[in-house]
Amino acid sequence: MDKSIQITVFYILTHMGLIFFLYPANIIESTTAAHWIPICIGLFVHILIVIIYLTGLQFFPHKDLVSIYTASGATMTFLFLLPVGVYFLMINIIAVRAYSEIIMIIFLSKTPLWAIMGLLLFSATYLAYKGLKAIFQTGLILAILVLPLILFTIVVSFQNVDWRYIYPIWNDDFSFFNKSVYYKSFFAIGGSFLFLGFVHPVLPYRPKMVLLSVIAILPLFLISVYVPIMTFGQATSSNFLFPYVMTVDAIQLSWLMFNRVTMFFLLGLVIFITLFMALVLWKTARIMHAFLPLRNQGLLVILLAIFIFSCALFISDWKEIEMIFGWNTPLRFYVVFGVPLSVLILGLRQTKGETTP
Amino acid sequence: MNSLLSEIKATFKDNDDFFLMPQNIQGIDIVLMGLTSLIDLPKSIEALEDKFERNSTKKEILMRLNNNGEKKKNIAEISSSVIEGNLLVLVKSKANVVALKPIGKSLSRAVESSENEQVLQGPLVAFTEEVDISIGILRKQLPTANLLVKNYTMGRDINRKLSLLYCEGKASPKLIRAIMDKLDMSQDKEINNIQDLIKVLGLRSRSVVAPFKITELPEEAAQSLLKGKVALFLDNFPFALVLPGVIWDLFILENDRNFTYPLMLAIRLLRMVAIIVSLIVPGLYVALVAVNPEVLQIELALSIAQSREGVPYPAFVEMLFMLIIMEFIIEGSIRLPKSIGPTITMVGGIIIGQAVVEAKLVSNILIIFLAAATIANSTVIGFQNAAFIRLFKYIILILAAIYGVLGVLAGIFLIGAHLASIQVFGISYLSNNLKKEGEKNG
Repeated sequence: MDKSIQITVFYILTHMGLIFFLYPANIIESTTAAHWIPICIGLFVHILIVIIYLTGLQFFPHKDLVSIYTASGATMTFLFLLPVGVYFLMINIIAVRAYSEIIMIIFLSKTPLWAIMGLLLFSATYLAYKGLKAIFQTGLILAILVLPLILFTIVVSFQNVDWRYIYPIWNDDFSFFNKSVYYKSFFAIGGSFLFLGFVHPVLPYRPKMVLLSVIAILPLFLISVYVPIMTFGQATSSNFLFPYVMTVDAIQLSWLMFNRVTMFFLLGLVIFITLFMALVLWKTARIMHAFLPLRNQGLLVILLAIFIFSCALFISDWKEIEMIFGWNTPLRFYVVFGVPLSVLILGLRQTKGETTP
Repeated sequence: MNSLLSEIKATFKDNDDFFLMPQNIQGIDIVLMGLTSLIDLPKSIEALEDKFERNSTKKEILMRLNNNGEKKKNIAEISSSVIEGNLLVLVKSKANVVALKPIGKSLSRAVESSENEQVLQGPLVAFTEEVDISIGILRKQLPTANLLVKNYTMGRDINRKLSLLYCEGKASPKLIRAIMDKLDMSQDKEINNIQDLIKVLGLRSRSVVAPFKITELPEEAAQSLLKGKVALFLDNFPFALVLPGVIWDLFILENDRNFTYPLMLAIRLLRMVAIIVSLIVPGLYVALVAVNPEVLQIELALSIAQSREGVPYPAFVEMLFMLIIMEFIIEGSIRLPKSIGPTITMVGGIIIGQAVVEAKLVSNILIIFLAAATIANSTVIGFQNAAFIRLFKYIILILAAIYGVLGVLAGIFLIGAHLASIQVFGISYLSNNLKKEGEKNG
């Protein structure tokens, strides 16, 4: 049965969670004018790899990524599956730690960090333990309940916009390619799409619908960068850790009973991130299951969660998070480009192998 | 022959409502047996005599007797037949026992209008304790040859009738097969209540959420059958258990379709909002008052703070305290007889409405939130569904007390995850297209 809607919704939600926090700061820092150029390059890469990935996956309609690699021999398994697993693990540690810090900075200054991490991780683990179908259905529920709030906030975030800040439109300076900050922005671009390779045996989807959702999130990338710039200007917004959050914080709506719309916006996004973490946790457990075939995959999820929690406890401040984030970047590029390409090549080779004899 | 008689006597010797009555009809010596508590004896005997005494020969009488009843051979069959309320006729010369359907005492209530579910502008008839009558009511509601009934007798020692109803062509064969397999497998297990039934069906018995919709309205059951669900009737339980339960049962009533389409949508939307309100309002109050007051407009925050002036404990305790009293009132008004029930409502109204606020034990804004949550909760369809929503709000409340608004959202996340993980015979609790799901997973 076709589950395209669940996949589409999930794709949009997780990207929303990834885009609005770190991405704008990375882009604003990487160039001073014409931000749409780096954004569009990133988006082009995003669309390209998603298309490659989807095309590659079509050769394996009943296999997920793990079984594709394990079926192609030990070399492929170690060359790709292991890095993917490590990458997921790191993403999870970073996400738990970074988002807990964000929550603490913005509105729970008195709550200890471990308690917030505990809550996020517990929620994610609970959901991951319940399995893939539960994760995607929860995504649907959350979309119904929380997405209207987020969309509302995105719309009202244009309140203080000054459109003249959009200029200069063109910039000959392509030095952002040399900045590591720019490559960090690929956390949002290449963060989530890999799940497409894990779900299709259980939750089949139409690739066209996924491409539609890819198109649906494109404006969000632009909004997340341009709204802060158009509100505060490039110079001011480059000082902020979370420019978009600051913009939302500056919204003043006298007819609303709430003073800080940020709260609901941010928390909604945090909930999407928790959803994302649940899926990454599940994927990590799925990959680990290939190496460590326990009878119960749920047990692996719990063990992983404990491991992630203890790792996250060792990270003491934001600088260290950024450092780990930096370490993760080369691995991210390897995974983000390597996996779709290798799947495509494996798929092509498989069809060749089938036709020649 | 006498051995069988004495065996029967021995079996029922401690039952004072068991009777043995020697009779002579047209020169045939017979013994009538049965339970006086279940059989209307004078009328039954009269009917029996009417049937046989009109100028018949002995042979004819015996033949008719055999044709009218069921032959019972061993003592186990006989005793279970007695307990079912049959009149047993022992023919002394032939040495066999025949079970007849007598005129029974009227032990079940008549078909009445529904007690537990209120109907607005819709059919009022409700199911009764008698399985056959309930099935009859449903058949009348759904006059189609596709409505199929399968009867089971469950239990070894305590026999209970269980009927499975479904619409052929609507319900997925896999679902029906799965349920039938489960029932066939545990024919000798006793079903005394719904929990037993849940165990027999192999569903999760520890889940808070009921795996089926329980309804006493034939219209609801009939429409559910047409949607591809399956109904179970348990003897002496005047409700249809509609399987599998889905989240839509919380706010979709089939009777809504008797209103105009926009009205139906509006009513359903109202119920959805009410569920969310009753889930999050107590938690949101605590979160906004105690943890994240900066979210509110300053005027609102001040007026809340003012109303809490003099309240000696934190918002969480305040809320928990009043919620528990509220639960007492709800439970108390269920428990009490109808004549005393209003007293509780009145006392509760006075305590909650006035005294608590005046004594500065809780703030009056809290009372408003509490009332909103409680009233909203009562819009949920089905008592069990309302109860699990009632229970879930405490999860959100506790999380909100610790984490503020984040706790409220995390609570929603966890509840969503829990609901998403529920599966009844492979059909997800959140599915909206039963047919498709059923064919795939059933």
